[in-house]
Amino acid sequence: MMTHGFRIDQDKCRGCLSCMRACPTHAIRVRDGKARYIPEKCIDCGSCLKSCPYGAITATTWSFQDMDKFKFKVAVPSPVLFGQFPAGVTPAHIVQGLLSVGFDAVWDYGVELFLASRAVLHYVENWKGPFPLISVSCPVVVRLVQVSYPRMIDQLIRLQIPREIAGREIKRRYAKELGLRPDEIAAVYITPCQAKTISILHPAEGVESHLNGALGISEVYNPILASANQQRNGLPPPAEIPNIVRNSTFLGWSVREGLGRSLARHNSLHVTGLANIIQVFDDIEKGKLQNVEFLEAHSCWSGCTGGNLTVANVYVTLSKLRSLVGDLPEMDAETLAEVNSRYPLEDFSLEAPVLPRPIKGQSGDLREKVRLLQEAEAVLKTLPGYNCGLCGAPTCKEMAKDISAGEASKADCVFFSKDRLSELYKRFLLNDR
Amino acid sequence: MPEVLLQRAFEVRGGDFDKAGETSSEIKALLKEVGIDPTLIRRAGVVTFEAEMNVVMYAESATVVFTLSDEDISIEVFDRGPGIADVDLAMQEGYSTATDEMRQMGFGFGMGLPNIKKNSDIFKLESEVGKGTRLYSAIRLDGAS
Ligand SMILES: Nc1ncnc2c1ncn2[C@@H]1O[C@H](COP(=O)(O)OP(=O)(O)O)[C@@H](O)[C@H]1O
Ligand SMILES: [Mg+2]
Repeated sequence: MMTHGFRIDQDKCRGCLSCMRACPTHAIRVRDGKARYIPEKCIDCGSCLKSCPYGAITATTWSFQDMDKFKFKVAVPSPVLFGQFPAGVTPAHIVQGLLSVGFDAVWDYGVELFLASRAVLHYVENWKGPFPLISVSCPVVVRLVQVSYPRMIDQLIRLQIPREIAGREIKRRYAKELGLRPDEIAAVYITPCQAKTISILHPAEGVESHLNGALGISEVYNPILASANQQRNGLPPPAEIPNIVRNSTFLGWSVREGLGRSLARHNSLHVTGLANIIQVFDDIEKGKLQNVEFLEAHSCWSGCTGGNLTVANVYVTLSKLRSLVGDLPEMDAETLAEVNSRYPLEDFSLEAPVLPRPIKGQSGDLREKVRLLQEAEAVLKTLPGYNCGLCGAPTCKEMAKDISAGEASKADCVFFSKDRLSELYKRFLLNDR
Repeated sequence: MPEVLLQRAFEVRGGDFDKAGETSSEIKALLKEVGIDPTLIRRAGVVTFEAEMNVVMYAESATVVFTLSDEDISIEVFDRGPGIADVDLAMQEGYSTATDEMRQMGFGFGMGLPNIKKNSDIFKLESEVGKGTRLYSAIRLDGAS
């Protein structure tokens, strides 16, 4: 099964090359005037989606209707959600709002954050393999390693991430409390980005998700806001203060660089933005980061607060979260007791390690692959090297590989074929009407 | 006789910390391109990187010859430099003549040669004082180590 999560509407696509140029892993080609994916190279970062001027690209989604087949529905909101709303809308309003849109319970994964931090600390301290270890919390980073840096795959930390631990605990606890089967219970992540939805619906090769689906923050924002406004206009305030505000760790998670903090004694690095991450990974490969033990990387330049399904301005969100955290303690007695009682009983390791993604043309006869490589190198020498992209491949180097693999021909290059140039011009005239 | 499928030579300059690591990156990229198992790529990467670093740190210049045959990946480094007077001593874990400056950059913990050996199926190190050093490492493609 192919695991990437985007589709290109062939009617809307005008073959403008924007997505092809935006793609960090060269996973898009424009052939016959239409963009298409090389699915195994896609890392679900969403750069293409953002870049398309014609709205031709859509992502795998999940909706409220998908929830209906479950008997008991639990929302698992990302901490980012709580920083999205205007002043006056409190965490209690937001929790109430989630209940009003159809959830039966709201689960904050504050305890799971502590559990995961402890497990990671233990993992890092006992690791005998090569450093740095890489956090698996951002699914784009996981896929980038699978696709472009497969020899670093053992450095992905083989532990469950907090939202997944929460999913598992939700099933266990409610099944017991309500006498339901685990598959009658939905654990639904309220997500700041598309990539996490995709990672739940189509987990990375080798891995499974304990969550059933995800709704974007942008999808639940309006109904929650409406409910919050009703609550504020007269309805009695929610009786219960949600657990979320017992300590500052959950709400402060995105503000404080996540796991890196609990690893302060270890040399850790927090990198954001895909271009920066690629640079750091290249440096790791060159042996330039020998002393770093732990790497937390987030594909969005502003971390999860800037995910593509968020609503509010990043800085406003951060400031709101900071003010919510205020002077709450980092840990409280109740949470600590729960963490202490659960930690020894649960297994936090991934059921199976993440596997490198098999890339087409990279299996099979070695002799043949060496021949293709040498042919591509020979072809590259004859290409102009301007990387104009008009052939439909993002660089001359990629084009050379495509030609040697028989997927494109030299006649697609405008420097070799005048017909190609006039064809492109005709298409431009047509599109311009 | 193993059949040579691909062979490349790279030049490495002593003292060039800026470019250090590039040869091993290029070799890893070639191996990835032809679909070699990631574990083997990683081992070849360690070998090339450590050998390259030793040239950068201790020698004047070197030629790195990378060969892929139908049986193994081999890396051969011929350097021109001071050579190693006591090869057995140099092979000991923790033995290093690196300067403090190099250590501050995160190199020189005396694990380079031992790690090269650990990651190789065949390993040879020969040196002539005042002339240079020749290092040979081979990693079998069938993964047996
Ligand atoms: N190519 C070389 N030329 C001269 N001396 C070398 C070379 N490679 C290694 N050595 C010597 O062997 C020692 C051990 O090397 P190695 O195990 O790589 O550790 P390190 O590089 O951390 O010192 C070095 O400190 C150096 O004295
Ligand atoms: Mg060394």
